[in-house]
Amino acid sequence: MTLDRRRFLELSGASATAAFLAACDSMGPAAAKRWLMYAERKNEGVERTLLRHTSMDGARRSAKTAGRAFPTYFVSEQMPMWDPASQGAWTLQVDGAVKRPVRLTLEQLAALPRRTQRVNHYCVEGWTAVAAWTGASLSDVAKVVEPTADARYVDFASFDSGYHESWDMESAMHPQTLIAYAMDGRWLGVNHGAPARVHSPVKLGYKNTKYLVRVTFMPERNGGYWSDRGYEWYGGT
Amino acid sequence: MSTRTRHHWIVRLTHWVNVVALAVMIGSGLRIFNAYPAFARKGETFCCYPFEGRPIPGALTFGGWLAGARNWHFAMMWVLVINACVYLGFIYLHGEWRDLVPRRGDVRDSWEMVKFYAFARKDHPAQGKHNALQRGAYFAMPIVALIAVLSGLAIWKPVQLSLLTNVLGGYVWARYWHFLAMIALVVLTIVHVFMVFAVDPYSLRSIITGGYDESKSPERRNARPFWWKAGVRSGVGGVGPRSQPQTPDPTPQTAKQ
Repeated sequence: MTLDRRRFLELSGASATAAFLAACDSMGPAAAKRWLMYAERKNEGVERTLLRHTSMDGARRSAKTAGRAFPTYFVSEQMPMWDPASQGAWTLQVDGAVKRPVRLTLEQLAALPRRTQRVNHYCVEGWTAVAAWTGASLSDVAKVVEPTADARYVDFASFDSGYHESWDMESAMHPQTLIAYAMDGRWLGVNHGAPARVHSPVKLGYKNTKYLVRVTFMPERNGGYWSDRGYEWYGGT
Repeated sequence: MSTRTRHHWIVRLTHWVNVVALAVMIGSGLRIFNAYPAFARKGETFCCYPFEGRPIPGALTFGGWLAGARNWHFAMMWVLVINACVYLGFIYLHGEWRDLVPRRGDVRDSWEMVKFYAFARKDHPAQGKHNALQRGAYFAMPIVALIAVLSGLAIWKPVQLSLLTNVLGGYVWARYWHFLAMIALVVLTIVHVFMVFAVDPYSLRSIITGGYDESKSPERRNARPFWWKAGVRSGVGGVGPRSQPQTPDPTPQTAKQ
C-alpha cells in the first residue's frame, strides 16, 4: 500500500490525537485541551527564543556526584541489553537529511573529539542528579555527516522497545549535547543506556534517549515516546 | 447610609481571576511536586524540609498526572502573570496603591490592632480603607508572588536562565523557594478569608458588586474576630457597639475615592 502525502497526514494526525486523548483524560473538556496545547506551542516559542549555545550547565562544586543513587530507567519489561552474539556489533546509524550517512562503531565514536562535562540531569519529575558524562558532541558528529539545509529536527531512536524522542536542531547542536559513552569515568553501564546514549543538560531527562542506535536528521519533527503521551515535546531547560 | 464603590471593577475582576489562577497553579504545582516530593539532589540529603519523600494528599492536587499538571501549570502561569500586571498597573495608575503600601507608624498601628483583637484595647484603632495589619498582608502578597514567579522561572529554565537560578542558590534551592512562596501565599489567603468572614463579612459584597456600607465597617462596629454586633441598619437607627452617634469618618487622611 502506498501512502500519498494527504493520507499520511490524516493517519498521523489521527494517531497523534488518539494517543493524546488516551493519555490525557485529566486535561478536561476539549476547549481546555485546545487552550493547553495552544499554551504549549507558545511556551515552545519562548523557550526556543531563550536558547543560547553559550548558556552552559555545570554542577556546583559542592554538589555530590550521584553515583549509585543515579536513578535507572527504561520502558522495556526487562533491562535492554545489546547482545553482540545475536545482534552483531553495536553501531550508531546516523542518517536522514544528511550528505554522508554513516554507521559509527563504538571505536569510531570514541575517536571523535571527546568532551567530559560534570552537569546536572534534570528530570521532569523534579529531581536532579549529578554525573560526569564523556562522549562526542552531536555537533561534531554532524560535521561528519553534514546535515542538509532542510534538516531542522533530529530524532534519537533506541533499542529500548521503540523509545525515541525528536529534538529541535538548535538544542541538538548545543555544545553540551553529547552522544555519551562513559559516565563518571567508566564505560556506560547497561542500567544507564549502554553502549551509548544522548545526554544533555539543556533538555529534560526524558528527551535524552538511552540505548541509542540511530540519529536521524529530519525536515519535520516526529514526536517521541513521552511527547506523544502528553508531555511537552520541547522539554527544554 | 453611605454606599459607594469600594473596589473598582478592574480590581474586582483581577481579584477573582487571581483566585482561579492561583488555585489551579497551587493544585497542579502540588501534583508536580508529588512526582518527587522531596528536595534533595540524588545521592544527598536536604536539610530543611521535614517531610522529604512524603507526597501531598491527592485530593489537594490538580491535573491528574504529572504531564497533565505540567500542562496546566505552564498554561496558567501566563494568566497569573498577565492578571497580576493588569492589577498592579491599574492600582499604580489609578491611585489605589496608596491604600496598600505601608506607612510610617504602621508597625505601631499593627501592634494597636493586635492589642485590640486581644481585648487589650477597647476601641478599634482609627483606620482608612484598610487597617495596618491588612496593609501589611496586602502589600506582602505581590512581593511573595514575585518570589514565586522568579523561583518558578528559575526551575523552569535552570540552564537558559542560569543567572537567576544561581542567584537563588541553584536548582534545588530555587525549587525550595518556589515551594515556600506557595506556602506563604496559602497562609496569607487562609488568614485573609478567615478575617473576611470573622470580622467584615459585609466586605464580601464590595469585592463582588463593589458596594460597601461604610456605616458597617469594622471600625464602626468595633469588630473583633467573631466578636461584634450587626452594624447599624440603614434607616432603622440601630445602635453600634460604641454608643456614639454616627459621626463622619474620623480619619480623613485617607479619603481617596
